[in-house]
Amino acid sequence: MIRLGIDWTRCDGHGLCAELLPGQIIRDEWGFPMLAPTVDDTHAARRAVALCPALALRLESR
Amino acid sequence: MTATLASVPAGTWTIGTPRLLAGLDRYATIDHAAHLAVRGPLPYADRPRLTALLEDVALSGRGGAGFPFAAKLRAMPRGHGTVIVNGSESEPASFKDRTLLRRAPHLVLDGALAVAAAIGARHVKVAVHDTAAALAVRRAIGERSDCRRVRVAQVSGGFVGGEARALLRGLSGGPALPPGRRVHLTQNGTLLSNVETYAHIAVALRLGPHRFRESGTHAEPGTTLLTVGGAVERPGVVEVPLGTPLGIVLSAASAAPPQAVVVGGYHGTWQALQPDLQLCHANGLGAGVISVLDDSTCAMGELARVAGWLAAQSARQCGPCRFGLPALARDVAGVAAGHDVAAAFHHAHAVDGRGACHHPDGAVRFVTSGLRLLREETVRHRTAGGCGRSIRGQLVVPT
Repeated sequence: MIRLGIDWTRCDGHGLCAELLPGQIIRDEWGFPMLAPTVDDTHAARRAVALCPALALRLESR
Repeated sequence: MTATLASVPAGTWTIGTPRLLAGLDRYATIDHAAHLAVRGPLPYADRPRLTALLEDVALSGRGGAGFPFAAKLRAMPRGHGTVIVNGSESEPASFKDRTLLRRAPHLVLDGALAVAAAIGARHVKVAVHDTAAALAVRRAIGERSDCRRVRVAQVSGGFVGGEARALLRGLSGGPALPPGRRVHLTQNGTLLSNVETYAHIAVALRLGPHRFRESGTHAEPGTTLLTVGGAVERPGVVEVPLGTPLGIVLSAASAAPPQAVVVGGYHGTWQALQPDLQLCHANGLGAGVISVLDDSTCAMGELARVAGWLAAQSARQCGPCRFGLPALARDVAGVAAGHDVAAAFHHAHAVDGRGACHHPDGAVRFVTSGLRLLREETVRHRTAGGCGRSIRGQLVVPT
């Protein structure tokens, strides 16, 4: 199973991931992503990972 | 009369036969000659035998996480590597590791050297924060001829800096901060465990599995060190068999009737007194800190003070911890000032599990268990604006 993960030491809360994956990621009150437990659309998730400006978003297999 | 730990840091006492603390009733510090007189020589065990022994006695790490030591040993690559003794003891109310390093350093060195010999590690590093402990270990190294591969590294304090991977980065010359990715230390040839763990290894080698198992429970044999403090007449570092009921320890410590007991330090939990609670790692013993709060103190204020300290300990690397823990601390201070608890639970939920290390999770566990236990107190603070008691500092907060 594939899911999204965050390197919290890198994430600056840009919020691009929440815009690219609106059903999967919402932002907390400080702008940091809150993730859905599983990934619906692997292709979209890969794109969000590739576009994360802080290289903080990643895909993890479990 | 009650005393806080800060005033009586180094007293020791035991329930049952002492193992780690043996001899400390007679010696302030056990030098090498006294060490050998009290304990005899250390038997050698090769890697398979040491692994089997520590598996047999189910030795778990004593820094708080309780990871099985034999599993770490098995994961180490052969013939090289470093053994690290983590003596950073960053839990504010904990004094057990410093006590061992200051007063029984040879026992800790024995354990670390035995592990290094078994796996063929070239280096042993003892990482300490406390200056007196560093001195005692250096003096002990000078007293024996088998310590050429041992180095003492004095590390900066800080709650998060004592976390295993953070400590390792600090020792390698980097910032003492948890890395963003989960790495297994043993893959890099590093075997790291807490001071007390190595002392138990030295004890297990001398006793053998059968006698080691004469103390403690079936699942968790042997003894453990506790640091007992707060509203007790006999605070100090205490050695007890694993599984000893909390009530026995508190009565031996002459504890005041508790309003609350904090078990497991500032990543642990607030509990109502359960005298039958067996003190073992399966029950959240953590690094063994037990703090008693009696009715003379404003428990809500104590909780708020520690929440503020926990927020200040954030390494400020991870957003939810950096922003969320101060928000949570403000909420808890608000509850003490008479506000509703909902905001605190909201922020606790927002922080939980969202960091590179377990600091946010531990802080949330501490705060939410406190708010739940102190429900009546929170109502009292809300309706009367306070409880009329002052904060006695029964939970030690470093200044």
